[in-house]
Amino acid sequence: MLSSFFFLAETTGDVADAGKAIALALGIGLGALGAGVGIGNIFGSMIQAVARQPELRGELQGIQWLGFALTEAVVFYGLIGGLLAYVLV
Amino acid sequence: MKRLLAIGTTLFLALPAVALASGGEGEKFNPASEWTLKPWVDIQIGPIDMSINKAVAYLLLGTVVSCVIGIVLMRVKVGSEPTRRQALGETIYEVAQVQIAEQGLPTKAIRRWFPYVASLMVFIWVVNMIGFIPLPLSDEKWKIFGVEVPTLAIFAATSTLSVTLALAFMTWMFTHIEGIRANGVMKYLQSWIPDVPKALYPLIIPLEILGQFMRLISLSVRLYANMLAGHMLILTFIGLIFLVTPWIFPFSVLLASVFYLFEVVIVVSIQAYIFAALSAIYIGSAIEPEH
Repeated sequence: MLSSFFFLAETTGDVADAGKAIALALGIGLGALGAGVGIGNIFGSMIQAVARQPELRGELQGIQWLGFALTEAVVFYGLIGGLLAYVLV
Repeated sequence: MKRLLAIGTTLFLALPAVALASGGEGEKFNPASEWTLKPWVDIQIGPIDMSINKAVAYLLLGTVVSCVIGIVLMRVKVGSEPTRRQALGETIYEVAQVQIAEQGLPTKAIRRWFPYVASLMVFIWVVNMIGFIPLPLSDEKWKIFGVEVPTLAIFAATSTLSVTLALAFMTWMFTHIEGIRANGVMKYLQSWIPDVPKALYPLIIPLEILGQFMRLISLSVRLYANMLAGHMLILTFIGLIFLVTPWIFPFSVLLASVFYLFEVVIVVSIQAYIFAALSAIYIGSAIEPEH
């Protein structure tokens, strides 16, 4: 009675599994948030740099991709950590 | 449009593996089951499991293909009037030389370490790339005209941690060997410690030693996780057909194609480049520490 009033659902199934799934999704999501900001920064700076000095494009491109890959990998560290926690714990 | 169609067809070819992985025996489809490596040829040397499985088969294939690419593009009939084939080979060589070796390695070490970083780049690129081509190398079998043929499947050897860890371990060992060879043991170990007041040493030294091991992890996990996530996303999107409803096919294949394109065009090349470039930077910074 009270539970239906407060929209509290009856829990069925394994609550620990649900918690792990939520943690996995949250971990990846927050990791992606940070990496999104970082990657946006990198490409934004790249555009600015090339707009100011177009002749440096070739040199900058290598650095840009290096930074992109280093930043992007952060999401995947979160993913692997989450998967490990999901499988092992 | 034509390209999108080609990608759709490619993915469609990859479909049966997923379909048969789901079993048809009421077994629930799970994309992660693609990463269970069953031994095809059992080889046990003492406690070490050396059996040939899917990943090893892909590695062997990748080795052969990268050797063939190197020989055909850079050794056969090379002249002063470059054909298209030779131009491609020269482009690959130039990327390896200018973008990777000269950026990371000091001038005196390029001669010794250019072959290593260049072959790392080509090998990882090839292994990543054949991971996205549906090949008849999988654990499931299906029958065509009464002959049992392995189903087509997409799988990259670099999406298993053992492979990337072995590659990263090679770079890591070479880093320390070269650092010791060029500077001597004490000087090399001292070069790890940055310029900080002596009072901070108890805090900094453990961190720096930990940092050396973190390099090993970050180098291997970066490649591994990128390839794993790419394959898993594509397989999951195609697998929605089995999980939800077959009518979702057009949407899921469209989404899978987008990821496929992203992976093939950007991720594959960048990861190969990054791995080689970071190897060069690590080895270079060990040979010539900043201070």
